[in-house]
Amino acid sequence: MTNAATSTLGTIALVMGREVRQRLRSRSFLVTTGLLVLAVLGAGLLNRIVDDDPPTYRYAVAGDAPDGFEDALDAVAAQLDVEFEAVDVAGIDADDPDTVARALDDDELDAVVRIDPGDDMPTGVLVTREEPSAQLVDALDLAWRTTSSLSAATSAGLTGDELEAVLNPPPLAGEVLEPDDDDDPVALLTGFVAAILLFLSISMFGGTVLTGVVEEKSTGVVEVLLAHLRPHQLLIGKVFGITVVALVQFAAAVLAGVVALVLSGRSVPGDVWVALPSSVGWFVGGFVLYSTLFALAGSFVSRQEDAQGAAAPVTAIAFAAYLAVFSLGMEPASTATRIVSLLPPFAPLLMPLRMATGSAGALDVALAAILLVAAVYGMLRLTGAVYGRTMLHRGARLRWREALRIARSRDHG
Amino acid sequence: MLHVDRIRKRFGDLLALDDVSLAVRRGQVVGFLGPNGAGKTTTMRAIMGLISVDGGVVHWDGTPITDAVRRRFGYMPAERGMYPKMRVGEQIQYFARLAGLGAADARAACGEWTDRLGIAARLDDEVQALSSGNQQRVQLAISLVHHPELLVLDEPFSGLDPVAVETMKRVLREQVDAGAAVLFSSHQLDLVADLTDQVVIVESGRVVLDGDVRELRRNSPVRLVRVAYTAPPAPADVPAGWEAEVDGVDATVRVPADVTPAEALATTGRWGDLVSFDFAPPDLSDVFLQSVGR
Repeated sequence: MTNAATSTLGTIALVMGREVRQRLRSRSFLVTTGLLVLAVLGAGLLNRIVDDDPPTYRYAVAGDAPDGFEDALDAVAAQLDVEFEAVDVAGIDADDPDTVARALDDDELDAVVRIDPGDDMPTGVLVTREEPSAQLVDALDLAWRTTSSLSAATSAGLTGDELEAVLNPPPLAGEVLEPDDDDDPVALLTGFVAAILLFLSISMFGGTVLTGVVEEKSTGVVEVLLAHLRPHQLLIGKVFGITVVALVQFAAAVLAGVVALVLSGRSVPGDVWVALPSSVGWFVGGFVLYSTLFALAGSFVSRQEDAQGAAAPVTAIAFAAYLAVFSLGMEPASTATRIVSLLPPFAPLLMPLRMATGSAGALDVALAAILLVAAVYGMLRLTGAVYGRTMLHRGARLRWREALRIARSRDHG
Repeated sequence: MLHVDRIRKRFGDLLALDDVSLAVRRGQVVGFLGPNGAGKTTTMRAIMGLISVDGGVVHWDGTPITDAVRRRFGYMPAERGMYPKMRVGEQIQYFARLAGLGAADARAACGEWTDRLGIAARLDDEVQALSSGNQQRVQLAISLVHHPELLVLDEPFSGLDPVAVETMKRVLREQVDAGAAVLFSSHQLDLVADLTDQVVIVESGRVVLDGDVRELRRNSPVRLVRVAYTAPPAPADVPAGWEAEVDGVDATVRVPADVTPAEALATTGRWGDLVSFDFAPPDLSDVFLQSVGR
């Protein structure tokens, strides 16, 4: 009887395989993954619709516009990411308000620039049917001022160079005394997204681990299982099997994100590909740590009704880590963030953010990774030791303290 | 051969197993009897390695039981256990694989057992969709799918309908004929008597009787005399050590084992006009009740 199944790894692989097959097929996985992909794609598509459709304002000029007004307006519009379309309206007369009003209605214009030639300088009035948007006002106003002052200067007899000096003064230069190097929005966003995805996975699949363990207890199947395999094999197979399932969903979300970026006509920032492998590493480490804690909590109870209560401390830690992302995460380089991000329950959520923003040194990353791996190993050992006894314990819910006492006693399955 | 040798187990203040010993040979069925809480399940869990013992040893073929050896055992716990949402075929094959069968062997064995137990049509159904009788059949298939050398069955007959009881008895006999060792516990003494002459009776964590049922009955310190009369009898001059119980025209008398049938007939014949007379060692349930002091 020497085949794959009789080895420890072979047994773990069998347990993992069962978890992966059952979970990938389950309706809840298909529905949540589908919703996640749709949400990511939807955000991308929405982005595309908004991007593809910069507002276009239709306008007409009543009277004589200053030279170069249309070009100046196009230049300003391009900067504001809007478009202006000049409409020639036959018979529009600056002196006849009726023609202006009619043009607004009949030609579906957003605005009419009514120009009164004046004695020295022309004056312009922006006529709209309703309150105009700020973009419309800003663009037309800027183009108007620029071209008016240009023609005024020309009339005053300034030379080309003088004109250039007047119209294009050197821009205001910037000097920052304490430059902030954490201001890359894409990096910050990547870090936040990684933390949110991990938290979502922990909440959802941590619950799967919890109910899976309680199901094995409440149905009694664990007694048949433990006659065939060791408690730690069952534990590791379950935790890593569901980790694979969570990774599949994570991959689906990342893929949908890439597709969404492509759909919205943007390129995927190169930093994302650099950050992805380490994010997956933190994801796996964090997920396994929390899943093991959920499995341990699940082994304390015999009924699904009691599961959430037993898992409350684990949920609370996960939630604290999630909140830390949004409080400490805004200051990735602060000392507090640095210390907290080294702690195993927090590292998987905070480290990707610190790494993405470049505030985590190699030493911090290595230290946090070593601590996380040690914590995962310690939790798997501890839970494996307790599991065989707690899994056969029926009836009232075990307290954490009782379970730890069991772990210290010499008897373990 | 399974050999449980003086195992002890304490749960807090409770001494659950107090030097329990028993043996099951290949090709032998042993009925494991005892009131609730006597230690049957704990003994079976110790054999299956689900709990460790505080003292004593469990051997198979003369050596301590390793994980690899235990995979060749089949186990059915008192509280049945299956994944409710897993399909029947997948479930049976999963346990077959855990027991060490390769994928192809597991598939073949699953097909064989579902055929034999009449659940072949349900292979693709979730276990929870099956009737409780069929779920019991799946459970039995799980414990047999890897052709175990030893079967440890905790209350295998409880909750079975009469048809399933017959199936279970047939299958167990086949396993024993094929050379398996079977240890099973039951409260239904008639079923035990049907299946085997070998019983072990435990009470409060101790083995109180162990042996062949016929021998146990023969060795019992009492004999049962069942007599019927034409009219309600009036027991008179009841010898010391005799216990007579009258129920209408019938009387049941427990007499010491050294009383001969002739002596019993002479004494009970004086109590009235006899219609029938029966003298026999006590049956299994009497032996059981006597041994556990009830």
